[in-house]
Amino acid sequence: MNGELGFGALAFVLVGFPALRVVSSRDLVRAVLWLAVTLLGTAVLYALLSAPFLAGVQVLTYVGGVVTLMVFGVMVTRKHAGNTVPVEAANRLRGALAALGFFAALAWAILRTDLSGFPPVSTPSTQELAQALLDRYLLPFEVASVLLLAAIVSAVVLARRRDPAPDPASPVERRGLGEGSTP
Amino acid sequence: MSPSVTLALVTLAAPLGAALISVVIPPLRHRGVPAALLTLVGSVLATGAAATLVLQDVAGQAVRATVPWLVVQGRGLGEVGVRLDAVSVPMLAVVCLVALAVQVYSVAYMHGETPRSYGRYFAYHALFLFSMNALVLAPDLLQAFAGWELVGLVSYLLIGFHFDRPSAARAAVKAFWMTKLADMGFLFALLLLFARTGAFSWDVALRPEVAEATAALVFLAVMGKSAQFPLHVWLPDAMEGPTPVSALLHAATMVAAGVYLVVRADPLFAQAPWVQGGMLWIGTITAVFAALLGLVQTDIKRVLAYSTCSQLGFMVAALGAGSAFAGFFHLGTHAFFKALLFLGAGSVIHAVHSNYLSDMGGLGRKMPVTAVTFAAGALSLSGIPPFAGFASKDAILTAVEGWAGWVPWALLLATAFLTAFYMGRVLVLTFLGKPSAAAAHAHESPAVMTGPLVVLAIPTVAGGFLGPWLARGLGTELHLHLGRTPVLASVAALGGLALSVALYGRGREAPLAATLAALDRASLVDRVWAFGYRGVLLPLSGVLRWVDRYLVDGLMNGLGWGTLEAGAAVRPLQTGRVRDYALAVVLGALALLVLGAWR
Amino acid sequence: MTLRALLLVATALFSVGIYGLLTRRQAVALLLSIEVMANAANLVFVAFARYGGAPGHPLVLFALAVTVAEVAVGLALVLLLYRRHGDTLLELASEAKG
Repeated sequence: MNGELGFGALAFVLVGFPALRVVSSRDLVRAVLWLAVTLLGTAVLYALLSAPFLAGVQVLTYVGGVVTLMVFGVMVTRKHAGNTVPVEAANRLRGALAALGFFAALAWAILRTDLSGFPPVSTPSTQELAQALLDRYLLPFEVASVLLLAAIVSAVVLARRRDPAPDPASPVERRGLGEGSTP
Repeated sequence: MSPSVTLALVTLAAPLGAALISVVIPPLRHRGVPAALLTLVGSVLATGAAATLVLQDVAGQAVRATVPWLVVQGRGLGEVGVRLDAVSVPMLAVVCLVALAVQVYSVAYMHGETPRSYGRYFAYHALFLFSMNALVLAPDLLQAFAGWELVGLVSYLLIGFHFDRPSAARAAVKAFWMTKLADMGFLFALLLLFARTGAFSWDVALRPEVAEATAALVFLAVMGKSAQFPLHVWLPDAMEGPTPVSALLHAATMVAAGVYLVVRADPLFAQAPWVQGGMLWIGTITAVFAALLGLVQTDIKRVLAYSTCSQLGFMVAALGAGSAFAGFFHLGTHAFFKALLFLGAGSVIHAVHSNYLSDMGGLGRKMPVTAVTFAAGALSLSGIPPFAGFASKDAILTAVEGWAGWVPWALLLATAFLTAFYMGRVLVLTFLGKPSAAAAHAHESPAVMTGPLVVLAIPTVAGGFLGPWLARGLGTELHLHLGRTPVLASVAALGGLALSVALYGRGREAPLAATLAALDRASLVDRVWAFGYRGVLLPLSGVLRWVDRYLVDGLMNGLGWGTLEAGAAVRPLQTGRVRDYALAVVLGALALLVLGAWR
Repeated sequence: MTLRALLLVATALFSVGIYGLLTRRQAVALLLSIEVMANAANLVFVAFARYGGAPGHPLVLFALAVTVAEVAVGLALVLLLYRRHGDTLLELASEAKG
């Protein structure tokens, strides 16, 4: 029990607090950065759970890729310097209630379950993981690549500039860097 | 299939085919003459077949060929087919022959119509012949009902043939709803029969009260169709239709269908003495009443209409006295001479372009064929021996001898006098004396019109001699005897004629003008019906219309409105806001979680 | 570090993500919350891989791929939203309203 509490404190520092800051930060950029911290904390947890490869991948893709993407997203869609938008009180209440309710239900289920049938085991090594990906999980692996391709293509298609009369408030337009529009 | 049955089917199929072709191929109808040709061909075929059947003399062996109509759970609901016996075959011949004569006559009479109207007219005629034959040949009451209603429909269509004339349209509606009201009796009789016997035959033995009820209900329909008092008021108005139509439908055949039905269903009526008693009186009253009204009419067609009504009363009275033969005999002779009279009247009307007796006069010299044939018809109707009308009327008077204290007999005898009187009046005013202004330029009608007149005149004169043959077919005997009744009848007829010649021969309408005018207030009956229509039927239908519009429609509209309102009430759930949808997802997941955890 | 504690931590993380999902008004912020939730799910997989030997690691990799794809498309949509309305507030995207 003591170990658990200790672990709980550690987890709070690593991921709990940062996550809370992600969802409550008024400044979007700060929120993104707090997300980066959360993700890093998770990576640490992975490492503690004998999953070093995953920890590395987490850092590379999430922190390196996703966070960067988010930063871009925030920058491109900014109205003015510093987006500070308060959260409505009413929604906060029902959001908190829903979240707490969810947590309560799930936690109650977890606490009631007998978890003795899950002893610590050795986790797969990187080599084993790589082999499994190309052996047992070949199909999902390929499908995942197709999925990524599809995502890239759709993102490009969606974000492509198509309007005949482009939005004059767009900062890109104003600076004259927009590409020729295709009607 | 025996040859008789085949012939009978020809009488049905030929006119039906003509009618269907005219309907299905509109160009034939729109051009007029093709439709007329079709109808005539159909009628010729039918008449030929009917005549052959008569010559075959099926009196001895009745033939019945039917197929079940609606098969429900292995049982047929009613039958469809033909029944050939000593009742249906003569009637068939009469109907077909008169129809053919009228149709030929119409070729010339209706030539003033537009081609489209002309074609429509003949298509209706074909439909009528089919319907009437279906009624005549009916093997049971169900098919008879079908034919009954169909002829009623055609009557409506033909009375209102010139539908752009308001009076014609009103007359058609009046005829239709009045007979339809009476037909409810027929319908209920069918229901009663089916409930009691599981079939629609008149050839069944019933308990007395059931027989009385059924017969009474059927007679109600007969009263409507055959214009018995007080349901007679539609018949004079039906004269709005073209004259050949009046001749065929409203004199010879359709109105006689009621009488025919009673003759046909004699086994049923024989079990209902009370109804027969009622028929005797209603027939007598109708005969007298209509004859009185016929005296005062100034329109030649209306005289004949009331005359028809009166003669139908004679027939009904005979039936009430239990003599189906007498009624049937008179039906046959009446068909010929009344059709003849109407066609002759049409000829006269055609010549002077007016229906009114005041516009006629002195036409005897200008229209000899018409005059002679018309006179023959008038004499036959008046009951002058040895014309056919005398023989049949005598049969009736003989049949009612002694019934109800000789009262009906006396009244009918008096009516015979009146009949002769009003026909004499018509004869004198139309064909004798000095021509009126309108009649000055009259000339004889074309051969196509006078031909049928001559053809019809033959049975008018000589038809009486077929009486014994007809009687034998029906199982009775007819003797020509020199008794009290025939002598008195002849005297009455001759007296009536003589009086009319005496009174009208000299001047115009002067004599008895006051009495006649007083009789005219007998339009009371018509006023009563009009009140019933306006005061009862229309308000009732107004109520039903309200129920339909506000309750029935209201229910449907309410459902629609309710659906829309429910939709509008639920619509705010679709806020369009992403967060609300996210909340819904989360709550849903939560619910599933809880549900899963609980098990 | 017991399994139970791990699971509770993951649940807490997930719930925090839910709070963000329901509360934030900016589209990008919403995406960040979703990231947090995905992260929590991945944590559960890794936990069970360690305790009990479930094949969690490959699953995590695939989940990663899916999440990345989702982020890409999501950001493209946010861009569209911004282009249409000049801002990324979520209530601007309410055309599906009743």
